[in-house]
Formats: sequence, C-alpha cells, structure tokens
Amino acid sequence: MADPVLLEVEHVGKHFPGVQALDDVSMTLRAGEVHGLVGQNGAGKSTLVKCITGVHPPDAGQIELEGDPITTYMPKRAYDLGIAVVHQRTKLIPYLSVAENVLLGHLPTYHGAVIQRGEANRVTRDLLKRFRLRLDPEMLVHRLGPAERQQVAIARALFRRARLLILDEPTAALDAERAEHLFELIGDLQMQGVGILYVSHHLEEVFRLADQITVLRDGKVVATRPVGELDQNEVVTLMAGRRLENGIARPVGATAPESEPLLELDGVSNPVLRDIRLSVGAGEVVGVTGVIGAGGHDIARALFGLEHLSSGEIRLLGEPYVPQGPRQAIARGLFLVPEDPTRDGLVPVLSVAQNITIVDLPGITRGGLLSLRKERAIARRYVDELSIATGSIDTPVRNLSGGNQQKVLVAKALALGAQVLVLEEPTQGVDVHATAEIHRIVRSLADGGKAVMVISTDIRDLLQFVDRIVALRGGRAVADLPAGETDYAHMLDLTVGSLGAVA
Amino acid sequence: MATHTNVPLPARPPTEAPAPWSARLLGRLRHFMDIDVYAVWPLFVMVIIIAYTSTKSSTYLTVFNFENILSQVAPLGIVTMGQAILLISAGLDLSVGYNIALSSIVTGLLLEHGYSLWLAIGAGVLAAMAVGFTNGVLVAQNRAHPFIITLGMSIFLFGLDTQLTGGAPVNDMKGLYTAFGGNLANGFPFFGLPTVAIPLVIVVAFAYFFLRWTPLGRRAYAIGGNEEAAYLSGIPIKRTKILLYTLMGAIVGLTGMVLAGQINEASFNLAQNFELESIACAVIGGTALFGGRGGALRSLQGVALWGVVQNAIVFVGLSSNYQQMALGAIIVIAVMAQRPER
Repeated sequence: MADPVLLEVEHVGKHFPGVQALDDVSMTLRAGEVHGLVGQNGAGKSTLVKCITGVHPPDAGQIELEGDPITTYMPKRAYDLGIAVVHQRTKLIPYLSVAENVLLGHLPTYHGAVIQRGEANRVTRDLLKRFRLRLDPEMLVHRLGPAERQQVAIARALFRRARLLILDEPTAALDAERAEHLFELIGDLQMQGVGILYVSHHLEEVFRLADQITVLRDGKVVATRPVGELDQNEVVTLMAGRRLENGIARPVGATAPESEPLLELDGVSNPVLRDIRLSVGAGEVVGVTGVIGAGGHDIARALFGLEHLSSGEIRLLGEPYVPQGPRQAIARGLFLVPEDPTRDGLVPVLSVAQNITIVDLPGITRGGLLSLRKERAIARRYVDELSIATGSIDTPVRNLSGGNQQKVLVAKALALGAQVLVLEEPTQGVDVHATAEIHRIVRSLADGGKAVMVISTDIRDLLQFVDRIVALRGGRAVADLPAGETDYAHMLDLTVGSLGAVA
Repeated sequence: MATHTNVPLPARPPTEAPAPWSARLLGRLRHFMDIDVYAVWPLFVMVIIIAYTSTKSSTYLTVFNFENILSQVAPLGIVTMGQAILLISAGLDLSVGYNIALSSIVTGLLLEHGYSLWLAIGAGVLAAMAVGFTNGVLVAQNRAHPFIITLGMSIFLFGLDTQLTGGAPVNDMKGLYTAFGGNLANGFPFFGLPTVAIPLVIVVAFAYFFLRWTPLGRRAYAIGGNEEAAYLSGIPIKRTKILLYTLMGAIVGLTGMVLAGQINEASFNLAQNFELESIACAVIGGTALFGGRGGALRSLQGVALWGVVQNAIVFVGLSSNYQQMALGAIIVIAVMAQRPER
C-alpha cells in the first residue's frame, strides 16, 4: 500500500571550498509521509535542503520529483514544481493582510488592475478552513505572532499547491500549545497527500511525527529507516558516530583549576532561561552548549544587559552585578564577542585599528584628543599577538576573512582589558586553520588569568578546548561537567537525546 | 584606564624601533600621494570645467572671479561641514535652511532693538544650537528616521521664522554687514580673500580636526558604520547623537551670521534649499549618504565643484536654468561614481 514516491534524492554530492558538504546522499520521501531529517550542526541538513529547493545545484547525483528529474536548479523553479520551504526566516510582507500574503502574485483582480478584496478573502478563507487554520484573512500580518506567521507561510505554500513542504526547525519560536497546533496541521497535510521533510534538532518531535528518519553525519547518510526501526538513543549514537566517542584529546590543564570565580550566575531566569547556575573562574574556559533556542544566546544577551532578567543574581569579579547594558558591562570588565562579527561586532568600513580601539576611546585620548600614534601602537600590538592576517592596520575590517574578524573582536576585548569574556560561536564559519588559532588564543587568554565563557552549538569544537562544559536544554542547565569526564555522544545525548530530557 | 594585559602567545618579533624622521616623512608623503581616484574625482572634473570655460571667456580666469566664487559658496561650505559630520553618523538635518534663517532673524531683531552686536550674535547662535539640540534629543529618543524628524522641525521653523519677522526681512545687520558684506565693495582685505573665507577656513579646519582627532568624531564614524556594533562596544549612542546635532546647530548659527552679514538681511528665505544643497555637496564629495564614510576635505571638494559649476554656466553663456540641470546631473553622477561598497 506504499504511497507513490514524491521525492527521490539520488547520490547527491555537494562540495564547497574546503568541505564536502554532501557526499553520496540518497533518500526517498513518499506522498503523505513525514520524513525526519536529523544531524548535528554541520552535518549537511541545510545544504541538502538548499539542494532540494534549488538554492545550491548539486555537483553530483540528481533529485527527482514524482519521477521527473529536476534539471534546472533555481529556487523559483522548485517553487513552481511544488516544493516549498518554511523556516524562521520566511519573509512575509508585514503591512499586507493574511489573504494578500497567501495569494501574493496571484491575487484576483478586475481586469488586472484592481484587486478583488472580497474574492481574495473568500479564496483564502476556504483554503484556511480546509486546513483548519484559525486565521483571519483580513488581519494585517505585522499584528500576528510567530506561530500565526508560520501558518501564513504554510498557507501560502499550500495555495501554490506545494506537494513537498520542508519545515526547518518549525517549533523554534513556538510554545507547547502552538507546537501542538502545528503537529495537528502536519497530520492534516499528511492526510491530503502532502509530503513533509521535517528538519529538527528536537528528536522527541521527530519521533512523534515522522514515518521515516534520515540521519546525516559529516555530509553522509548514516541511516535512513522507518521510525519503528530506530530509537532515540540509537539516533543520537548515529549522529555522534561511534568512533568519536573515544579518544577525545584533552587540552593542557586537564583538570579544571580551582580558582576564584570571576563570573557567577545564581538562579538566573527570564522567559527563556530557567534557574541557570554556573560559574567561570579565573584561568578557566567554560563551554556552554545546547541546540538553537536552548538558551545559550540568551545567557550572553542577559549578561550584557540586552535581555531582562526576571530573577536570579549575578556576581562579576566578586561584586554583585545587575546588567544594564553594554556600556556598564564593559566598564565592569565584561566583554561579549557576538555571534555575527560583521552584523553586531565590527564596523565594517572602519580600519582594523579603529575597530580595536573603539571600545576604549578614553584609553587613547590625551588632553581631549585622540592619539593616533597610541592607537596604531595598540593595533600593531594585537595584530602581532593574535596574528591577525591583514594588509595593514589601516585595512577596513570588511576586507578580512571571518576568522580574522573574530580575532579583531578578541583584540577589542584585550584592548579593553576585560577580565571576563563571553564568546558566542567563535568558530562559526571560519576555516580549520583559523579555528585552531582561535582555540589557541582562547586557551592563552585563560592562561593569562581571564575567565572565558564560550557559547556554541558545536559540541565537538567546544570539547577541543574548554575546561568545563555546561549542557543547556529548554533554558535549563542539565549538566555541568569537566570536559575530561564527558564526550561528544554524551553531550549530544544531554542536549538532544533522552538523557537530558526534562521531565 | 585601560589595562593592556599582556597575553602570553607564541613569541612575535618585537615591534621595530621607530624609523628616523626622514623615513617617517617620506612614508607620510607616500601615504598622502597614494591618492584614491574615487576620492578626488570632483577635483578632476573641476579642472576640466575650469580649463574649458577659460577658453570661452577672457574674464573667467581672474582672481576676482574666483574670489567671487569663494564668497558665494562660503556659507554653503560652512553648513556642509556640519551636514557631512551628521551624514557620517548616519544622520542628517533637513532643518538647516530655516534654522539658518532663525539665527539670522534672532540676531537681526536684537540688533534692530539696539542690543549690542556680540549679544545679538550670541543669541542667534544659541537659538540655532537649541534647535540642533532639540533635533538631537528627538532623533536619539525615537526610532523614527532623522529625515522625518528634521523635516518636521524644518516646517515648524518656517512658521516660527515668518511669525517672528511678520514676513518682512530685517534689513540692517550692522556690524555683521561691515564684517562680511560691506567690505566687498572695497575689494578683499583678508589676504586678498573675502572675509567670509575666514569662518569657512575655520570651520573646515575644525571639521577636519574633529573627525580625525576627537573621540566624538570617531564615535560618529562608528555609529554611522554600524550602530549595533557601536552600541555593543559601549559607545553612548544617544549622548553622541545629541552632541552631534547640537554641534550642527552651532555651525548653522555661524552660517546664519555669515550669510545675513553678507547680504545684510535676515529673513525666513535667507537660506532656502541649503539643507538639500549641503547634503548634495557632501555626497558629491564622497561622504556616504548612509554613514560611516566621508570627511571634511572630501565634502569641501563637493562645495568647490558646486560653486565652480554654477559660475562656469554663466561664463559659458547659458541661462541660469542650466545651472540647476547641471547640478542635478552632478549629484546623480556623484552617487553612481561612488565606489561600489557594502
């Protein structure tokens, strides 16, 4: 009674400079099936989605939709064929109504000139009713919450007769009740023969919804099986890869130094974070990991005063600390190296030197004027110390590679003399060589007596250079272990598997 | 107060000893000669225009004519410096035209009522600074774009200006006229230059210095280049914006004094279009419309080109309507000629 095959991915390969993102990936998705796609960050999930939706044409293999090979890989072509992807970044037009967003590009008109509002609303209402979506077609989209916006995006895909719906981390912005609604909707869609590729870190959801599960690791399919033939622990093991469990090299100073804590969080809570307790001592590197939305980013933002705390206490360098904003945090010796250097951390058009000294203009001011000589001296010093690869200290930072931009951010922290550093995803998008250098720099910062917190979703990366690692799950710290006493599979189990599941 | 903690990293060669002064001078010179073609294109265009126009008229290439150009663009040049500083910080001020008028009117009315020159000047400049400060507070406190806030201010000031004067200009600027306008007839006493060149030179030098060597100037670049990064780097965004707009107010006040003195009149339409012309000049010179890049000397080039084109059109014998067409075209070309970035 097998349903017809909807999507057939055959031996697809995709190579990016320095990395084989997908390697001989094959999978089959049938009409009316929910197919879970899981894997750690960097396993190739999003590359596979981008190949299917035509953003990245595959280098090898082919993709068939209902038996017809896709020949032209372009997002619009994929959309026309009935492949739609809905993720957090799906763009809607805020000041148009739900109906206008759903029907966008196909609005009924009088002679192509004037929109038939009544007709548009009626068509949309029918569509919404058919899928039991409780949305008002006339409501302006900017007044909707994330769950409703997601429904609008899904409705738009359905209106375009999407036969394959790719949901990418669909519950990331939803609370439990809204997530239930989504699961019901997925059930309805299944009944109507829509195939769903469900990409998620949340294994519980995948196990609940999916008929088939495909596990990716390092760009390869390590399993593609019916859900009944797998259990959650098995999937975690598959995601981790058995070989990796043993022989994780520990960096120097394998035992966490017993030092005075420079940063202590005690019972820190806000709408995302629940009772976070952790401390980072002088000379210590503490990794904080968890899937996106588990709270890592929120800890960083809360510490820097960008997100409010509803309760809990923080001590910084032994003194009570109530975060009020970056200015105060910086004055108190806490510096945040944000996730996206070009967006949040650096001024792209300013030079390397100007970006380094921007955190401490008073430090280069003499008699009310900037000492450019001092600025250059500081810049040269950190460019040398951190071996920042740049044409000169006058080069605009936008001309630097990602890894070197990260180093400029670290240089800012050093120029400031910050004692406590919080680094968010410091190795994201940087090459292997730069990653190794960043590890080395972070270690040497700690060896110099600083307290470093590294927030990252990349467990393997963290395990290579941190002293301790904290696992976050649903805003809670579910484990706080010396890095030597855990390994990748264990941490993965804590952050996505059954081990860390919060009752 | 920064403690530059030493980070023990693999040894690097020690920073070389300071080069002898001669080598440093040479380096400076080379740095200076390392001209960015994109940055100085208005100068090239200007040279071409001057060369061409001089073949059309024998009276064009005279000291007197260039003094005349200088005297004509000086007030615009002054206010362009302020506009450039705001543009660099990703702000702008559309109220400068009627704010220049306001400062001249306040000064003119006080002079008319017999107050001393310095008191009248002080009051006029303070009035403009108060407007600038208000703009700054509104821009800093709101997420609305400075375009709309200063546009609102501009319309408000138009009403205020006409209310204060009853629509009729003040026609005697007394000492200001003596300083900036009256002596025009007597030739140019200031090193052969019109006296309006004095405030222009001072303001250009100030803006150059301000943008290069003051923390506030640097903060302007940082905010204009990436406000989020500036905020996360601990830069006081609001305070900086308020200070920059207030500084603009001071520059506007000075422009008001110069302009009113030059033509011996204070009225609501004293500086019509100055807001847009000053933005145009700064952008022609290579100051980015959306912040982060630009400078005083670059923007001054824009002003110079503006003045030269206006003047040359007359000498070539075209009607003044062509001035507007030419200037309009230059603005568009300037934006297209800007180095493709970001």
